[in-house]
Amino acid sequence: MKKRIFSLLLALFFIFGMFGTGAFASKKPVKIGFIYILSGPFATYGQFAKKGALMAIDEINKSGGILGHPVEAYFEDSTAKPAVALRAIRKLVLQKKVDALIGLDSSGVAKSVVGTIEQLKTPLIITHAATPDVTGKQCNQYTFRISVNLSQNVKAAAILASKMNAKKWTTIGPAYAFGFQSWEYFQKYLKQLKSDAEFFPKEKVAFPPFKTTDFSPYITKVMNSNPDGVLISLWGGNLVNFIRQAKDMGFFNGKYQVLITLGAAIEVLSALGDKMPEGLWVGTRYWFLANDSDLNKKFVKDYYKKYKNYPSYNAHGAYSAVYAYKKAAEKAKSVSKSKIVKALEGLSIELPVGKVYIRAQDHQAVTDATWGKTKFTKKYPFAILDPIKVFPGKEVTRPVNLTGCNLK
Amino acid sequence: METFVLNLLNGLSWGMLLFLISAGLSTVFGVMGILNFAHGSFYMIGAYFCMEVMHIIPNFWLGLIVAPIGVGILGVVIEKTLLNKIYNRDVTFQLLLTFAILLVLDDSVRLIWGAGYHIVDPPKLLSGVFHIFSSTYPIYRIFIIIMGPVVGVSLWAFFYFTKYGKIVRAAAMDREMAEGVGLNVPAIFTAVFALGSWLAGIGGALAAPFQSIAPSMGERIIIESFIVVVVGGLGSFPGAFAGALMLGLLESFGTELVGEIQMALPYMLLAIILLIKPTGLFGEKQ
Repeated sequence: MKKRIFSLLLALFFIFGMFGTGAFASKKPVKIGFIYILSGPFATYGQFAKKGALMAIDEINKSGGILGHPVEAYFEDSTAKPAVALRAIRKLVLQKKVDALIGLDSSGVAKSVVGTIEQLKTPLIITHAATPDVTGKQCNQYTFRISVNLSQNVKAAAILASKMNAKKWTTIGPAYAFGFQSWEYFQKYLKQLKSDAEFFPKEKVAFPPFKTTDFSPYITKVMNSNPDGVLISLWGGNLVNFIRQAKDMGFFNGKYQVLITLGAAIEVLSALGDKMPEGLWVGTRYWFLANDSDLNKKFVKDYYKKYKNYPSYNAHGAYSAVYAYKKAAEKAKSVSKSKIVKALEGLSIELPVGKVYIRAQDHQAVTDATWGKTKFTKKYPFAILDPIKVFPGKEVTRPVNLTGCNLK
Repeated sequence: METFVLNLLNGLSWGMLLFLISAGLSTVFGVMGILNFAHGSFYMIGAYFCMEVMHIIPNFWLGLIVAPIGVGILGVVIEKTLLNKIYNRDVTFQLLLTFAILLVLDDSVRLIWGAGYHIVDPPKLLSGVFHIFSSTYPIYRIFIIIMGPVVGVSLWAFFYFTKYGKIVRAAAMDREMAEGVGLNVPAIFTAVFALGSWLAGIGGALAAPFQSIAPSMGERIIIESFIVVVVGGLGSFPGAFAGALMLGLLESFGTELVGEIQMALPYMLLAIILLIKPTGLFGEKQ
């Protein structure tokens, strides 16, 4: 008798158990693969992105998931190397069977993986890599970008530069696609806005290699060439080193105008602390104090509560991409890859940075570019932007016919 | 003239930092026959230790003394527990082991201090700038330029004029013979490895006030240090000094004069030296 009751209980337990898991299993998780730089000199960018992504997923899973599917995240390290990033992408798509990919920090990586994305037929939302080519001449059906791209950011820089009392411009940038293209687009845009602007020839500008830690030769070179203005497209640890060393060598003493395209990254500002010179124009894809919307205030507050730090543009990019995916899934009422791609085209979404619209023709987000002048306040341990200048997405985004891409 | 002097200073300061790193690398190779891939990690850890010391007591000089000793102790631990197992094995074991140590150390640093960038202030005494023609130049860099020869000459004096230095050289020249006359060669190896690590630590602590401290800050400098050591001659002290100077000056004047091609200059120098004098400038035939 006892035995029968026991087996009955066991049977009941099993049935309920099955029901229990069955209820969850009917909605299998949506898998998102993230590829960021999680090691090496630029790893801090990947860590910010990871925090932003995890926060978005946490919020979504707490409020019922995407169309009822819980969200699962897989993170892979690109190490900023194209070959490694490609392997990571293949692993995520072929082994982990992810439904979408989000990430990419380096333009060099982005340029070399977008072809594979098309073959793998998996949507990729780029959140940081800025080369215009991946939503330009290299664009494809599966590649999207939610963040400000290089041409938008540099267009804003050129608008700022055109109003400055500076005629002869030079640049210091990393010696790869991002640095070269920043300079190329800056020349193009500034020439349009200010026809008498002059640009230093190739042998006079400075492109230090990625791994440089001592920038003094480049600083001396640029200072000796006597420009009126300098466009700086260094980022990450390179920028931290550069600013410290340049400051000591009198680079920021006001002899020339300085525009730092990615200077307003929290990663850089908080590392420099009070070593950041005041009154420099610095750009960013997102600035946590630039938008007064409730959504942004909530995002900054929750992020601070969770991580005891302010969200950087990379945290914002990853966070935004997860929500863009969610909105696309809801629009498509499906998480099938091809339907997500259709839904992402022309998607409008409100993000902490503001209202963003993904163009159907080139898959580039039309989003505001933010610049500002560095200033110290009592409230923050690093320089903040004051005044802040937000360039509306429509003004800085190049028209579709100039992108070299038309998917429609 | 101004450009020349500034580039000279830029080249010398980078060169002297390179010298400190390559001196350790070269000594360890010269005596123990070990090509230590993890040397750049010791350099990085020197910078982190210096930063940690300065968090507790904000005094750079203390950091500069304590941090390298800490790195030296780490070197002793690694030599005693890992390296001494492979002295009698094939060279590939060394390469694999020191490379593994590099990976473990780099990731440990990331686990402990995170991936972010940190900065350290130069001491008050050296934090200003001085005027040179119409420009300014940081005093701290001059300090590095002075530190190179100071450390170099003291090490050279140690190796040539002290009893312990002579013992080390004896062990380097002929291990069996040294053991035969009653020298404790394993202890000498430990001490030499500690010395090499200590030198890397000094380099790291010195670099901390003008570079950002971050994981893998050793990557760049270790590649160039290997070039320095090969150009100067493996195991040669004056070679390391000459090689470091050449590389530092190539870097600064190359940037000014030839632009982008500068990136290739160290490797071109390396190739030329290997073609003309494979043992390096000051290297002896083995």
